[in-house]
Amino acid sequence: MWKLKTDKCVLRSWLCLSPSLLIIGLIIVFPMIYTAYISLTNMNIYNWFDFEIIGLVNYGRALLVFDSGFLHALSVTFLWTAANMILQLVIAFVMASLLNVGKLRLRRVYKTILMFPWAMPGYVSILLWRNGMFNSQFGLLNQWLDRLGFDPVRWLADDVTAFISCLAVNLWLALPFMIMIIDGALQSVDKSYYESALIDGAGWFDRSVKLTIPAIRPIIGPAVIITLFTTFKQFDVIYLLTQQVGAKTGANIHTVLTYTYETAFVTSNYGYSSAISMCIFALLMGLTLLVKTKQRRRNA
Amino acid sequence: MRKKIERTGLVLLNLFFIAVCFGALVPILYAFSVSLNASNSILGSDFSFIPRQFTFANYRAVIIEQPVLLWFRNTVILAVSSVAISLLVAIPAAYSLSRFRFVGRLKIVGGLVLLHSFPAILSMFAIYRLLSPIGLVNTKAGIVLIYIGTMAMFGVLNLKGYFDSVPLEIEEAASIDGANTRQTVTTILLPLAKPTIIVTGIMVLIFVWNEYIYAITFMTGARNYTLAAGLYSLQATEMSGSWPVFASASIVVSLPILVIFFMTQKHMQSGLTAGGVKG
Repeated sequence: MWKLKTDKCVLRSWLCLSPSLLIIGLIIVFPMIYTAYISLTNMNIYNWFDFEIIGLVNYGRALLVFDSGFLHALSVTFLWTAANMILQLVIAFVMASLLNVGKLRLRRVYKTILMFPWAMPGYVSILLWRNGMFNSQFGLLNQWLDRLGFDPVRWLADDVTAFISCLAVNLWLALPFMIMIIDGALQSVDKSYYESALIDGAGWFDRSVKLTIPAIRPIIGPAVIITLFTTFKQFDVIYLLTQQVGAKTGANIHTVLTYTYETAFVTSNYGYSSAISMCIFALLMGLTLLVKTKQRRRNA
Repeated sequence: MRKKIERTGLVLLNLFFIAVCFGALVPILYAFSVSLNASNSILGSDFSFIPRQFTFANYRAVIIEQPVLLWFRNTVILAVSSVAISLLVAIPAAYSLSRFRFVGRLKIVGGLVLLHSFPAILSMFAIYRLLSPIGLVNTKAGIVLIYIGTMAMFGVLNLKGYFDSVPLEIEEAASIDGANTRQTVTTILLPLAKPTIIVTGIMVLIFVWNEYIYAITFMTGARNYTLAAGLYSLQATEMSGSWPVFASASIVVSLPILVIFFMTQKHMQSGLTAGGVKG
């Protein structure tokens, strides 16, 4: 074997790897270890230098005291992830199916236009939603409401409407990718599958549930899992719409990430914030390993 | 009769998609038309998507009154250096993970996959505290270092995924013909991997272009802002009057990314799926 002679390559392979590993170590791994250390201290804005180790107090505060906010943020995050995933999958599936209706000639035009929310820089879109659509004085939504004779709504000021607004914006941002993935999967499904079902007179719903969805499931699986993680880790939508430093809208919704950012850079409670970071690290690591073993079992 | 039903169905379907496309474009169209609208009628309820009076005053205001050109320069400097260094360190690493067999290789790959899924925001404070005593906070070098580190896992894994898909035989043939490793890599493997390398670079570019949270937390003073941080600061001081300027700035900032996205969309799908890490 040519390249697989081991010992000759060992030095060279580590040489090739070292710049990458050095940067990752410096920017990713070492800060993680340092975060773990800070999480055991009472470091905050008053104890910037003279902090001391206080053990697991911060963890206790995060995990055992519901009022502290972390558990609340965690439950909001779960709700957020579940709502997003369900709506995304259902809407994207319906849209992709409709895009694949045989005689739809303008399909390509529609597809291109539907890619725009994905192509736009995410933070720009979110800021446009905030300042253009949701603004309570001159936002487009309130202009429309006004024209229909309703009172203006302060979309981002109240927990429930703010959550729904964030959800809508996130769907707007994420659907193009999901539609593209499902559309691609639908096109790879063998059309002859359907013939017997059509002869049997199965309707669209029956065909979808019994044939299409089982057929595309393995194809869209990885993309769905990745979306699940990105939705769980969503920061931009909620932060930019409602929690901007110095421009909060009044709604008290946090995902775990916006909450961590807030405790670190707004309320400057570094020890506590680091403890939360570690909890989220652990949670994500657990989820990743769970997904990996599941995948491996399916492949085996 | 049946044909008629089919026809109306198709008309309805087209109407539906036109409505959906409108929904997908509404915020962008709204910003675009506000940015071109001369009559400041945005406060009234008689807004229309086609401005009654065109003007470029808002764009002029963006370019002349705001330091947008400076922010653009900062962004380009950060983006180009991040892309260049990322590729420079990721290509050899990916190659050695793909082609060489050594103890610990699989552990490193597994570690990269695991780290890839961790949100950088979580250790942001630690990074801040580590970089500030060595004077790297509020400098371009510091922020480039962070960008490279954040995208390093993606870069290595995406390129490795592609290298894995290139059959070993091609390189074997070259080495039988007397080429050494460096020659096979530069003359055979890299040209083959060009689409994936481009896509990887573009992902880093887009990441840097769209990144605002590190930029606003680590960089202070409008002179050091990137476009993203600048745009953020434009709306943070927002009063109703500056919304047209903000809208114009949004369009200006988005245009390069839109162009790049639609130019490379075809490559994107293959360049990302071949590598096997998405998102």
